[in-house]
Order: sequence, then structure tokens, then C-alpha cells
Amino acid sequence: MADELRRVRTVDLLGVFWRSFFIQASWSYARMQSLGFAFALIPVLRRLYPDRQEFSARLAAHMDYFNTQPYMASFILGAAARIEEDRATGRDPGADAGEVKRSLMAPLGALGDSFFWGSLKPLAAVIAVATLFDGSWWAPLLYLALYNVVHIGFRGGLVFAGYALRGDVVALMARFNFAQVARLFKVLSLAVLGGIVGTITLWRPELRMPVPVPGITLASLTIALGLAALFRRGWSPLKLMMGLGIVCLLLALGGI
Amino acid sequence: MFDQQTIIHVLQVSLLGGLIGLDRTALGQFMISQPIVAASLTGWFLGDAVTGLIIGGILELIWVLDMPIGTFVPADSTVFAVSATGIAVLGAGEPGNVPVMGFSLLLTVIMAPATMYADQLMRQRNAKIPELVLGSTGLPTEASATGWHLAGLIAFLLKSFMLCLGLVTCGLVAVKWFIGLPPFLHRAMMLFITFLPLLGVASVSRKLSFTTVDRTLVIGFCVGAVAVQLLHIPVLAAILLAVASGWLGERIDGR
Repeated sequence: MADELRRVRTVDLLGVFWRSFFIQASWSYARMQSLGFAFALIPVLRRLYPDRQEFSARLAAHMDYFNTQPYMASFILGAAARIEEDRATGRDPGADAGEVKRSLMAPLGALGDSFFWGSLKPLAAVIAVATLFDGSWWAPLLYLALYNVVHIGFRGGLVFAGYALRGDVVALMARFNFAQVARLFKVLSLAVLGGIVGTITLWRPELRMPVPVPGITLASLTIALGLAALFRRGWSPLKLMMGLGIVCLLLALGGI
Repeated sequence: MFDQQTIIHVLQVSLLGGLIGLDRTALGQFMISQPIVAASLTGWFLGDAVTGLIIGGILELIWVLDMPIGTFVPADSTVFAVSATGIAVLGAGEPGNVPVMGFSLLLTVIMAPATMYADQLMRQRNAKIPELVLGSTGLPTEASATGWHLAGLIAFLLKSFMLCLGLVTCGLVAVKWFIGLPPFLHRAMMLFITFLPLLGVASVSRKLSFTTVDRTLVIGFCVGAVAVQLLHIPVLAAILLAVASGWLGERIDGR
């Protein structure tokens, strides 16, 4: 009976999911997401450890250094919930969530950075920018919709997957090939980028050249590739913007 | 120098910047803080959606792949987006003033190092929070963990608020001065706005591809150009064709 009371329920995992949105509220260089992780796990710890002393001890145990990609933290939160359950119910009294956290945070961080920041975000952004340059006012809404359908879906799903798989990241990878999808997203982003430059003659009027320039489409591609080459030589966006400002000043002085 | 109405608007924009800035790190990360959304919201709020959309679209491309990995804190593009839109709308006095948009963008982006420094300072200050939660006993309570953790949100909000307040105030003074400058400078800023999207394209392609002349990008370009200039297909359809060509190229490569 006591074991039944100490089982993690769906509502607890939903609580963890909700709190995962706050995981970086007190992000610091010293412990990064440590307090956020403990904060997100509170609904589970509350269920498993009705004794105040025990609850506090487990909360403190989860305040160790922790940092990963914030969305992928959901998987580790789910895994920690399962391990805490095994510990509290006596199924595995020596279970240590800290070990799983330490072993998963770096690989999942790299995976999440590459998938969410490095491929989903630019894809949603370039699609939205393409619609914006075409003159559509709803481009920001499209961006939010494209991004968050995947983001929120994953964040919620990963809490439950982490719990069900007890942190088995290999099983997670078998279910979803992050690397392959990320690669596809990057390729599609590049195709859209090319499309954006190719349609420069129909960009919204505020973004068109003040004077008609013959061969503007090809010239734009050349300029974009030239700027990309400068980026590769280590120029920062700030430096390039300043440089571009000076070039524009010279062009304006020259009567263009 | 500022009338009461402007002061109220500056405070409102700064508060909006503070709230939107929460999404950047501390709360949710739904991407409301991305320039394309943040600038558009600011523009709509001030009654000039077009200015917000243009500034947001340009900044989005330039900063979208500046990622917060590990301890690296990128420049705060949310503050740029909100402040540049605020300055452009409040300073121009008319909707869609392109030279003022260019000038506002230049002004705010110059402050990139300041935004990074403010963020780093905040995160160093946050290092004290876990110690406060643990207290002298080393055993945290639910209330102390929750309270101190969520207090971090206020600190993040205040940081963005103060940055926006400083930038918009200084920016409005600078725009007043800019408006009186010779016309060729205004023309230079118009040109600047037209070139910036290409800088954005370069910024994204550099980070997504290992080569400067990426094959998929060039294919997308050719498909887009042919579709709109020869076939007179609408832009969005041309972009879809470009996407399809990219996908097809990937499939063929996969084999």
C-alpha cells in the first residue's frame, strides 16, 4: 500500500513538464541549471518523500552542478523521476540519479544544441523571413508555430520518455534519429536561403535597392557569398555591419 | 527634451523588452525573444508593425545561429530588436521611415558588447542563489527553493529592462540629431537596410555549411530566380520549389 502511494503519477510528470519551462530561471556560471533541475523535480519529490527531512535531503541532492540543452533536460528529469521512484519504493534503494544526470547531460546537451538551436531554429527562421520579405505580416506567427509544435511536443514527450526508458538514451536514439533530421533541416534551410536571394526582385519595397540595378539577382548572390567568405575569415557580424555601413556611405557619396 | 507621452512610451517599450527578454534564457524559450517576433511585437505595440517586421526580419537572419552553448553568452539580439524598433518608431515620427530604421539598427548593434557584459554580470550574481537556498543547515525547503529560483526571473527582467531603457533613451537623442543630417547620409542608411538581408544570408549559410559556395544554396537560388523571373510564380511558391529542390538533392545524395 505504501509503495502504491509512493508511485509517480501522470499528474506529477505533467507538473515536472510545466516546471521545466522555468529550468533556467536562476541560471548561473557556478552551478548553471542545478537549482532549476531541483525546482522542476519538486512535484515528484513531494509525492515520493512525504517526510520533510527526507524531502529536503533529496532536494539538496539534486542541487549539484547540472547543465544541458534546456529542452533535452526534460528527458533527464523524467529519468530522475523514475530513479527516485525506484529508490523511494525500495525497488532499488541504492539508485543514484546523480550518476545518470552526470552521464547524460553532456551528450544530450550536444544533441539538443545541434538539433534545436542548430537546425530547427534556423529552418523556422528562414521560412518565416522568406514569407516576411514577400510582404506577409503573419511571418512571426508562422515562425512561432513551426518552432513550438516541435519544441513543446518534444519537451513534453521527453519527460515521459525519460521516465519510461529510465534514462536509456540509446533507446531514445533508436526511436528518433536526431542527427538525420537535423541534417535534413539544415539542407532545407540552405535551399530556402538560396530561394530568398533568388527572389530579391520581389522583396517588399522597403528592402529593395533605391535605384534599379541590372543583374541585381546575380549580384546579390555574389555579395552574399562574398560576405560569407569574410565570415569564414573570422569577421564578426558586428564588424561586417560596420564595414557595410561604411561601404553604403561611400556608395551614397558616389551618388547611388 | 522628451515630452510626457514619449517618456511613457519609452518606459512601456523597456518593460516590453524586459518581459520578452525573459523568454531568451530564464522562461520557456518559446522563441518569442527572437528578433523576428520581438521586434514585430514592439512595432505592433507602438502602432507601426511594418518597422518592427523589417527590423526583426533583418536581425533574425544575422543572429539566428548565435547560440548559447555552455558558458558562452551571445549578444542580446532581443534587446537590439526591441530597442531598434522603439527608436525607429518613436524617433521617426512617421511609419516605415527606412533611413531611420537603418540608423537605429546600427546604433543598437554597436552596443552588442555591453549586452553581453550585462548578461555575464547577471549570471555571476546568480551564483549566490543556491547558497541562499541551502542556508546554514544545508537542507533546502520547498518554499526557499521555489522562491529563490523564481527570484532569478526578476533579475533577468530587470537586466533587459535597464538595457532597453538606456538604449532607447540614448537612441532617441541620436535619431533627432540624425534627422537633421544631409540627405546623402539618409540614402546611405537606405542602402544599408537593403544590404543587411544579404549579410544575414551569409551569416546563416556560413554556419550551416562547410563550404562558402554551398551547392544546395545555389540550387535554391537558381530555382527561386527562375521561378519568379521567368515563370512569374509567386514568391512563396518559388520558395516551396526551392525547398523541394533541396529535399530532392538530399535524397539523391543519400543514395
